[in-house]
Amino acid sequence: MSGLLIDAAVQPFCRDGREIYDYMDEVNRDRGFPDVESQWYQAPGGDYDESLYGKGYPGSDPEIASRHLFEDDGVDVAILNPRTRGNLPDFQLNTAVCSASNRWLAHRWLDEGNPHGRFRGTIRVNPEDVPGSVAEIERWGDHPLMVQVGVPLQSRDLYGRPRFYPIWAAAAEAGLPICISTNGGAGLEYPPTPTGHARTYSQYIAFMAYNYVYHLLNILTEPLFKEVPGAVFVFSDGGAEQLTPFIWKLDTLWLGVRDQTPWVDRPPSEYLKDHVRLGFSRLDKPPGDSVPIVDWLAQTGKEDVVMYASNYPFWWRNHPDDLYEGTTKEQTEKVRWRNAGEVYRGVTAEAA
Amino acid sequence: MQVRQPINKGARRSAREYVVCRQEDLPPGRMVIAPVGKFGVGVYNVHGILYAINNYCPHMGGPLCSGNVYGTNLWDDVRGRAEHVLDGRIARCPWHAWEIDVATGVSVADARKRTRTYDVRVENGEVVLTR
Repeated sequence: MSGLLIDAAVQPFCRDGREIYDYMDEVNRDRGFPDVESQWYQAPGGDYDESLYGKGYPGSDPEIASRHLFEDDGVDVAILNPRTRGNLPDFQLNTAVCSASNRWLAHRWLDEGNPHGRFRGTIRVNPEDVPGSVAEIERWGDHPLMVQVGVPLQSRDLYGRPRFYPIWAAAAEAGLPICISTNGGAGLEYPPTPTGHARTYSQYIAFMAYNYVYHLLNILTEPLFKEVPGAVFVFSDGGAEQLTPFIWKLDTLWLGVRDQTPWVDRPPSEYLKDHVRLGFSRLDKPPGDSVPIVDWLAQTGKEDVVMYASNYPFWWRNHPDDLYEGTTKEQTEKVRWRNAGEVYRGVTAEAA
Repeated sequence: MQVRQPINKGARRSAREYVVCRQEDLPPGRMVIAPVGKFGVGVYNVHGILYAINNYCPHMGGPLCSGNVYGTNLWDDVRGRAEHVLDGRIARCPWHAWEIDVATGVSVADARKRTRTYDVRVENGEVVLTR
């Protein structure tokens, strides 16, 4: 049906809290750092799909994950993005954890767990350590199965700020988009909403992904795309419905105060297709048939930026069929693989 | 003492010409609104060159010429930085701050949006607008 299916957001985990230590460098191997399970906000029955608990954490066995994704869901290529628990106060330790994550992912998932060749990986970097991030991208940028660079959504500064440009430039140079996704719970981070911590899981999960809006507004108004014309940002946690009201506002305001940001030389909305992608899951869709999905996707070009994102193995994960009912054939293809194929190198050719 | 010559303000030399003011009453940096057309026409002296635009913003019809006059900032691709340019040539609509180049009537942000321009000249010490 409608060609390929690329899953832009799969979170692989270690089998248990010890596994990652085998991949830590010697200097940091004896340090303690936070485990992958989240701390405060728990979905009913745990964060992850209950049926997925086996010998280790859900999403920790490449063979089982392959069966679920490639056989049951019909996915052709899955982009793996491990979590590293956010900005640790010790930024050098954080860089070491990111390095360990990259060695672990390359070994366990992209090599020995990848006989079918359908897994792709994310180079985790620590934005609090700009030179360390650049070095990590240079180290892994040539790996044929690493297709993006990953940083936490919960950052200490907005990602359009110039201090991050060397990281984005290194990623662009390597032909890799930058994925900004929820990755915290134990590090230095601001509360998930402007008025502090959410009370319940539903309040948390309904709002958390929207933090991407602050990054997006900043990215679209700083001179980022003049300095790093090849930068592409992926917000894999979704929240596409917020794209429409905010891009309307940004376009409207730009007409009046354009002179304050003269490097933005066309309406902000015109940057989206070339520079921005969003994960698309069932949490992003209008519920039921409340709004015709065809119109909803077409509004402010959402159909050109959303990519199928299962969020496997999380509790709210979706199956591909959840997403396409009522869409046009062209929209379905964009969501399933075309939009992802434009930003992730090699994913369409090798899957075909 | 210089004797100011009386002028024939508002006179129509022909059906299409209108005397706006004396030349000395429109020094560089100043603007005069001539009661021409439905909304009036703003006549600007920008560093010694006269321009005239309709007092009607192409956005929502605001009184464009009653706003302040500025320059604007544009990105210079060669230098790789923002530059302040067109000083004294940008009318800013008081309603939503749209920037209009008084020399062309065109919006700086969106070249598809423009307001009407008029020919204006000095003749015998008088500023003459052609409708």
